[in-house]
Amino acid sequence: MAGERHYFEDVVIGDERVSTGLTITEAHVGLYRGVTGDGGEHPQAVPELLPLALSTGLGWRVPRPPLAVKAFLGFDWEILQPLRVGDTIRTSSRATTRRRMREGGVVIEEREIIDQRGVVVQRGRFTFLIEHRPHAT
Amino acid sequence: MPGPPHRGRRPPPGPETPELYAPSRCYVKRARPSAAGRVVSYAGMIDGRRYFEEIQVGEEYESPGRTVTETDIVLFAGLSGDYNVLHTDAEFMRQSIFGERIAHGVLGLAIQAGLFTRATQPYATLAFVGLRWKFKGPIKIGDTIRVWARVLAKKDTAKPDRGLVTLDRKVLNQRGEVVQEGETDLLVERRSGG
Repeated sequence: MAGERHYFEDVVIGDERVSTGLTITEAHVGLYRGVTGDGGEHPQAVPELLPLALSTGLGWRVPRPPLAVKAFLGFDWEILQPLRVGDTIRTSSRATTRRRMREGGVVIEEREIIDQRGVVVQRGRFTFLIEHRPHAT
Repeated sequence: MPGPPHRGRRPPPGPETPELYAPSRCYVKRARPSAAGRVVSYAGMIDGRRYFEEIQVGEEYESPGRTVTETDIVLFAGLSGDYNVLHTDAEFMRQSIFGERIAHGVLGLAIQAGLFTRATQPYATLAFVGLRWKFKGPIKIGDTIRVWARVLAKKDTAKPDRGLVTLDRKVLNQRGEVVQEGETDLLVERRSGG
């Protein structure tokens, strides 16, 4: 596998990472509705699951090699405030728990989505299974 | 904008008076009772939404199926920016426990949300406020998924014009295996308005 990756052994508890910002446009909303069939009708209202979907991409846009995710196991999520087209979101995340297992390591990450006013609009906890760093050969 | 000029009662629509009814605003923008006595909204949809009082604990719904394609995954990677190898590198994934690329978990969740709207008459939903979700198995290219849902609980909220409806949902593939499951919380309007 080419390219540096961030393995279970590299995960540091409490390290906070803030992503770049992303302005949600009508194109995001239209594409999301077209692909998923979800999301209501009002053209300016951002479907609730769209910021969550965008946060999964923003999570890669931090100064760190991509996390070697083996599987995304689940999450708990709260939607606190509605968003409208034109709002700019960024994500803040930090690992709170890491548990070593034979086939990888479980990492629990707390994530917040914050708008341009600094208001936390969505937040929750993600559980990932992360690969072990391969032994040097 | 004033309507087309006329005196007294508006004549009924017919071939002899096409000019009065030709402008779209006469029909499209004015709410009018339909045959069923319901109000037709601006978008021409019947307000057949179900309010908090009408939803019963234990109700079950099942959606039609939808086949998840490579196109769905590529579009979702482009939309979300999640280009993880799990979803985008066919060669890498051939060596993995899955044997091929798999759909983003959140793509499955979002498709499920879309399928749910086709499973039942729409709720008078004010907001989708939370979920607790587990990814149990992969959704692979060509898999056909559907959603099964059951009303788990109804709760009052601080605001009297709405209530909280919790649904238990399972996403099933063509073999009947549960690939995702969890609970979703929706704020639903009361018909009485509190």
